[in-house]
Amino acid sequence: MLEMTIREKGCRGCRMCIDVCPTACFDFDEKEQKAVVAKVENCIACLSCAYICPSQVISHANIHHVKNFYRNIYFSRRMEKFL
Amino acid sequence: MDEVLKKRRALQETMNFMAALAAGMENVLGRGANSMTMSAGRNLGRKFAAEARHTNDLLEAIDEVRKVLIANNCLWNFELFKEQGQADYVTVNDKNESQIFLVFRDCMIRQALFRFGHPQYGSLCNMMTGFFIGALETIMGKKTNLEIRHAGENACLKVLTVQV
Repeated sequence: MLEMTIREKGCRGCRMCIDVCPTACFDFDEKEQKAVVAKVENCIACLSCAYICPSQVISHANIHHVKNFYRNIYFSRRMEKFL
Repeated sequence: MDEVLKKRRALQETMNFMAALAAGMENVLGRGANSMTMSAGRNLGRKFAAEARHTNDLLEAIDEVRKVLIANNCLWNFELFKEQGQADYVTVNDKNESQIFLVFRDCMIRQALFRFGHPQYGSLCNMMTGFFIGALETIMGKKTNLEIRHAGENACLKVLTVQV
């Protein structure tokens, strides 16, 4: 099952993860002024929260990582001349 | 195996070329590029789904679209999505249309766009959206729309609406 965690100490309470999440997985703890995971079941693993977090404190486990073309070393070597 | 790798490399290079072409086209044609590519995708979807089984059931129709994609070697997997507490995948929106959320993970468009840092929501995304709704419209015989709700780095959330 998908797991999502926020490293509490690192969270600065900027709410960017809350704004970017399309399925409202996060909640904001007003007392602590930090984001918390509220509905992990809704997470589609788009990883937008992890990418946008300025402190890089959001991590996901047991998800499907899409393979990106730029990770293909053979392809990158061939494209080098155009870059 | 070598043959598969060779084909995959050729496909990846073609997709990257397409992404660069689409990004350039958007600059020249402006917003019109999106409607042009969506129209092209829709025509292709209609053509590919011409022989597909016709049905009025949305879930069955989505399965048919999946079969059309597989039959035409389009590796564009998607999953149905419902929020926690939601009873059914298919709901009715405020315009009285049937709607369903779809999650697209392995998308060759996204992978190609990211290769050179092109933005999402562009003309290539619209082409695939057009392909999907073209196929679905042929199968269901109803006006449909697939809207990109969220374009993420690892997955995209789209909402499919079908007029009753």
